[in-house]
Amino acid sequence: MGSSSSILLTKEEIQNIANDTGFAPNQIKRLYNRFTTLDKDTKGYLDRQDLLKIPELHVNPLCERIIEVLVDDHGRDGKLNFKQFAAVFSTFRRGKVEQNDLNSKQNKLKFLFGIYDRDKDNKINKSELLSILKMLVGSNIPEDQMNSIAERTITELDENGDLVITFEEFCETLQKIDVDEKMSMKFLT
Amino acid sequence: MYLENLKIVSKTLSFWTTSCSSFNTRNLFFVSMANLMLNKLSTTLTTSNQDDDNDTNNNLNEINSSRLLANTFFAIFISNKILSYFFVLNLKLSILAALVIGLASVGASFGLRKMYVKALLKIFEYATNIKQEKLKDYEELIDNELETQMERHEKIKKMQRLRLDTFRLDSADKQLLDDSDKQNNNYIRDEKEISNKQRTLSDMKRDFQLDDITDFVHQGLQSIIDDQVTKRFTTEELTVWNLLSRNDQQYEYISFRVTILWLFGFILRYCVLFPFRLVLFIFACSFTFLSTFLIGRIREGKFKCWLNWYATLILHRILSRVFSAIITFHNREHKAKCGSICVANHTSPIDVIILSTDNCYSMIGQQHGGFTGMMQKAFSRSARHIWFDRSETKDRTLVAKRMDEHVKDKSNMPILIFPEGTCINNTSVMMFKKGCFEIDTVIYPVAIKYDPRFGDAFWNSSKHTMLQYLMLMMTSWAIVVDVYYLPPMTKYPLEDAASFAKRVKQVIAKKGGFVDLEWDGMLKRASPKLDLMYEQQENYSKHLKIN
Repeated sequence: MGSSSSILLTKEEIQNIANDTGFAPNQIKRLYNRFTTLDKDTKGYLDRQDLLKIPELHVNPLCERIIEVLVDDHGRDGKLNFKQFAAVFSTFRRGKVEQNDLNSKQNKLKFLFGIYDRDKDNKINKSELLSILKMLVGSNIPEDQMNSIAERTITELDENGDLVITFEEFCETLQKIDVDEKMSMKFLT
Repeated sequence: MYLENLKIVSKTLSFWTTSCSSFNTRNLFFVSMANLMLNKLSTTLTTSNQDDDNDTNNNLNEINSSRLLANTFFAIFISNKILSYFFVLNLKLSILAALVIGLASVGASFGLRKMYVKALLKIFEYATNIKQEKLKDYEELIDNELETQMERHEKIKKMQRLRLDTFRLDSADKQLLDDSDKQNNNYIRDEKEISNKQRTLSDMKRDFQLDDITDFVHQGLQSIIDDQVTKRFTTEELTVWNLLSRNDQQYEYISFRVTILWLFGFILRYCVLFPFRLVLFIFACSFTFLSTFLIGRIREGKFKCWLNWYATLILHRILSRVFSAIITFHNREHKAKCGSICVANHTSPIDVIILSTDNCYSMIGQQHGGFTGMMQKAFSRSARHIWFDRSETKDRTLVAKRMDEHVKDKSNMPILIFPEGTCINNTSVMMFKKGCFEIDTVIYPVAIKYDPRFGDAFWNSSKHTMLQYLMLMMTSWAIVVDVYYLPPMTKYPLEDAASFAKRVKQVIAKKGGFVDLEWDGMLKRASPKLDLMYEQQENYSKHLKIN
């Protein structure tokens, strides 16, 4: 009578997701609320269009790439269901990290690496670097200067001289920033 | 499954009773109640099987068909009840209706609604306490490994504080409100700080680093979890549950006592309050058509204005009782006067009714079709309102000219306008459109604050149609509103319309305790402009060192 039909989570499902991801049951419920708010047509999954409707994400320079990583790498067939949604965001959960936990520093670094590496060859080559640069600066810096920045970055960080940045070289560069702290997110309870 | 069998039983029962020749109200009552109960229970207890899409579709179809069945039975029951009202079979209730209408006309009140509201608050507290206790027990079973003893104590203390302080869950909003307060005080000092920082930053250009993306990625991901805009277009979350299952997004079977309470509340709202309110509503609509027709026939002049004034006031007072609205006006000395413009924040179509119980306004808006259109035409017969066609809205100068003419004539009623352009969920105020601020006249701002504990007044136009929304309103407990009249404002000589609009918005946001957002309310339906993205890109490239 007037309320929308929403398929709610059962206690067992919440328990399962809590065990897999390390979120508290309260956090899972709030995440689920958020998921259903974003999934306006109640399809049961999120796709690219749903995520684009978030205005603050839409005006983010890396918007397309973030959505690509979320939906293609962590979802299936361009759809992201709630389990996958919770799994991705558990990578950024603040809290103590145990042995095989999802929010390990390794997983955070893998996510960031995935933003650059779209052809999944585990290497960042110059064109991938250039495409990210283009997204970050828009039309404010001319092409040739962007080229030179990209080349310089690769030569600086490439250790074995293969003109691409591997995952290990990437992790080394990011040693100087505290990835755990910078990429931890606030989840309301 | 147990539930399936119950459903089958109830369906056969309902078919059997309808095929009976005796259309007894009591039979229908029981049958429709049973169906509605099953509906609610089935939606709350249905399992979600995320891996199997077919299963969820089947579930949805079942739920929809049983809901349809329940709705038809409910409709039959309600119309039965209404007929009994109109045929004066129920003398006591029709006397009650007449009394309410009489009081409304005079503008007096017995104070019954206020007592009702106080009693409701106590019941809500009780229900929430039970719920919190049960939830705590359940969560303690799970959380044992995740929390230390100290953290658990903190959590309990926090919950108790929440109960005492406010009923708002959103701590992010509280932060924003605190920040905006501080900002207003330190405005001048911050300006100097910012300009200093910019000078030093531009001297400190850095090379491009691979980790430059972290900030953007973090901000993007955070906005997926919680952003400032999309949550303004859904109902607000509360910590105190007000026994309306539509408001509790994760209603589960927690405790027997709470379910019984909810059941009583449900029966009270749907079977006692709702028919009564519906009768009042039908009366009010017929009163509108009749009065506007009669007043429209009178010659233009002072008498017509005076008559129209009182007729509109009475009509809106009756309408406000339809929703059991308890309205408190503050600072009535700042009520809008003739020949001015009144601006307010927009939460629902009921805003107009609430404001019109105290003062008469000329409305402005798009000419709709259907029922709303009929009402608009009826109102135009007895007073001057500004309705424009959809094709004309694009022509802003035409609308501005009509407003200008209306305002120049000092005998005209003040224009009521909602500059946000769409309904927002009463936690924030979004960008004001500058159209009406370009006109050279006094602006009277008004802040409308709904108390969300008694009923959610926000109209989510993508979720409910107008009729569904009215039905929801008429089956809520009550609508408790605070209306704050604010002192009149005029544009400074060198100020442009956009800054004036911003200034008025700040005043309204401050008074009503809303979060002041610069985002456009039209983002409900449209994508944002990419200017903000270009700005971010520009700022980033300023700090990049180029050889």
